Amino acid sequence: MTGMVRFVLSEMKPRGKMWTPFNIISVPIMLLGVGILYVRFTEGLGAVTNLSQEFPWGFWIGFDVVTGVAFAGGAYIITFVVYVMRVDKYHAIVRATVLNGLLAYVFYAGALVLDLGRPWNIINPIIGNSFGYNSVLFLVAWHFLLYMLAEAVEFSPVFAEWLGMWRFRRIMNGLTLGAVIFGITLSTLHQSGLGALFLLAKAKIHPLWYSEFIPILFFASSIFAGLSMIIIEGTISDRVFNDREEQGAHDEIVFGLAKGAAISMFVYYFFKTLIFVHEHHWALITDGWGAWYLFEVLGLVLVPCAMFAHGVRHRRLGIIRIAAVLALLGIVANRLNISVIAFNWRAAVHYYPSWQEIVVTMMVISAEIWVFRWVVTRMPVFDTPGQRSAAT
Amino acid sequence: METYTYVNIFETKGLEYLLLLSFLVLFVLLVRYLRGDYRDKF
Repeated sequence: MTGMVRFVLSEMKPRGKMWTPFNIISVPIMLLGVGILYVRFTEGLGAVTNLSQEFPWGFWIGFDVVTGVAFAGGAYIITFVVYVMRVDKYHAIVRATVLNGLLAYVFYAGALVLDLGRPWNIINPIIGNSFGYNSVLFLVAWHFLLYMLAEAVEFSPVFAEWLGMWRFRRIMNGLTLGAVIFGITLSTLHQSGLGALFLLAKAKIHPLWYSEFIPILFFASSIFAGLSMIIIEGTISDRVFNDREEQGAHDEIVFGLAKGAAISMFVYYFFKTLIFVHEHHWALITDGWGAWYLFEVLGLVLVPCAMFAHGVRHRRLGIIRIAAVLALLGIVANRLNISVIAFNWRAAVHYYPSWQEIVVTMMVISAEIWVFRWVVTRMPVFDTPGQRSAAT
Repeated sequence: METYTYVNIFETKGLEYLLLLSFLVLFVLLVRYLRGDYRDKF
């Protein structure tokens, strides 16, 4: 036991170069963010945010939670493809994707605590303090918690390998398929549940973005958001940890992910078009809101969809990576439009995030990347299945 | 005697049916394009 404690303590020591561009940028951001959070928790939300009674949900909910959870959608898709559909090609990225999903939920859903006026009440939906069993927020709160546990179970074999706990690893490996199926079920419901939160706000959301099908749109878009995030995250990991991965196999994985992204974006685009026609929104696209909507749907959905398809057909990785960035920007635009930009669109004074809100969001992202980097440089996250069997 | 009545596809959801059918055709073409057999067939 003391040997394990000594090992864990030795793993806590920093590794690699200290003065990297990421460290130089992220450390001041995180220090400033901690200072802002101190003011937020001592003086209240009003001291550091531009939130008001008119705009109770701002950048922290719109970006950190609503957008961040969509970006984390890659974990449930890849685990479904690998463990349920048995497509072994993607096995090499399943651990990194699950880790990314787990950390995204811990940090982005965890950012909810920052935004609650009374953060200590966050436990209420879990202990069932008779607050709205029928509410969507109740479902989302429980799903976030259960999904984090499911992802922790999925990732636990890596943790066990790191500590050399082979018996524990065998037990947790046996639970993986159950955790994956449970996780997929939860994901389909809470990805759409996040959209369902906005069904209550029909009178407040611009009609171009409001639809009774928001839950379906949120779920459909989480598929290509997750796939695009894996492509970008995989590209960065490939450059930073390139000695650990096989280049050719990685390229094939990216082409496969891009194919999935193209198909899911096409389906999503069809849903958007059908809803647009069904709701007779032709007259709404003549003003600035209409132009912004068309930019989102055509420029950040249809264009990246075509780029993904072209990139797959002609095997152009560069085009696929640009398409993934555009697709992610499209998700950011869509989620922020619904939750912030086109929310209360008739209000005389509109909400804009304060610089403190943006710094805290950057702090959350930086902290997640620090933890991700710490884990992948110590635990066998990028090892291939062959290397894992050799280790046992 | 019956008179000819103009059917407005915007009101009868005809446009939505057309959209659905065109989507199905385009979806098949997209999948074939992604699989790489589009150029061989067309």
